[in-house]
Amino acid sequence: MFAEGLFIAFSALSVLGALGLVLFRHPMNGAMSLIVTMISLAGLYALLSAKLIFVLQLIVYAGAIMSLILFIIMFLNIQDSDLPEEKGRFYYLLGGLVAIIPIAAFLIKLVKGIPATETTIVGNGFGGVKEVGLVLFQDWLLPFEIVSILLLVALVGAVVLAGKRRMIK
Amino acid sequence: MIQDYLILSVILFSLGILGVFSRRNVFAVFMSIELMLNAANLAFLAFSRLHESMDGHVLAMMVMAVAAAEAALALAVVILLHKHKGKLDTNVFSVLKG
Repeated sequence: MFAEGLFIAFSALSVLGALGLVLFRHPMNGAMSLIVTMISLAGLYALLSAKLIFVLQLIVYAGAIMSLILFIIMFLNIQDSDLPEEKGRFYYLLGGLVAIIPIAAFLIKLVKGIPATETTIVGNGFGGVKEVGLVLFQDWLLPFEIVSILLLVALVGAVVLAGKRRMIK
Repeated sequence: MIQDYLILSVILFSLGILGVFSRRNVFAVFMSIELMLNAANLAFLAFSRLHESMDGHVLAMMVMAVAAAEAALALAVVILLHKHKGKLDTNVFSVLKG
């Protein structure tokens, strides 16, 4: 009963945050509401007994990535006059709704066919650091290495983009 | 119930697509993409809980790594564009047209 109440609270908060992201005009307000979404999603991960991902969501997403985005928004010092006009955005929103609702309804119908399972907390260290680490380094070693190469490429790309001005001179 | 988590994931993903559709602010589009990645993560973890196997957790970690790399590069491009054009409009990206 308590877990169901938590699920309803967290899911309502995350949908509200996502709505705020779509509807707020200034990107700072949008980033703040996205942080609300991230933190409530972390709570949902904890309810799904994913302990490690819960911690990583709080540290990496709500902590690192969102503070990077907030830092850039503050760094660019965006005034209201810098923002694009977005006059027709409610028409685009309505058109997007017309396109999205059938697909979403189909997916929800599909999801309802999955056998109903209670989401009680799983024991035996499910989702802990040691267990996920064992799976990561035994079954997923090659994708892990490929992700490390991707991070290296992103690092080199960031250095190239930052040093572009000097190269042109 | 596990279906509620998956329905929430579908709703969040649709909201992300709507954000990409309807906004012209570069930051709003970028954060909508982050929202879609998070919805995919929620679906991974819900299916992982359904089958009680931890492969979904590993995939969610990889999605987080990809999102971090994407954030670093996308924000660098946004800063460069803002420096050159002084705008935050996605129409600025039409300079990439051939």
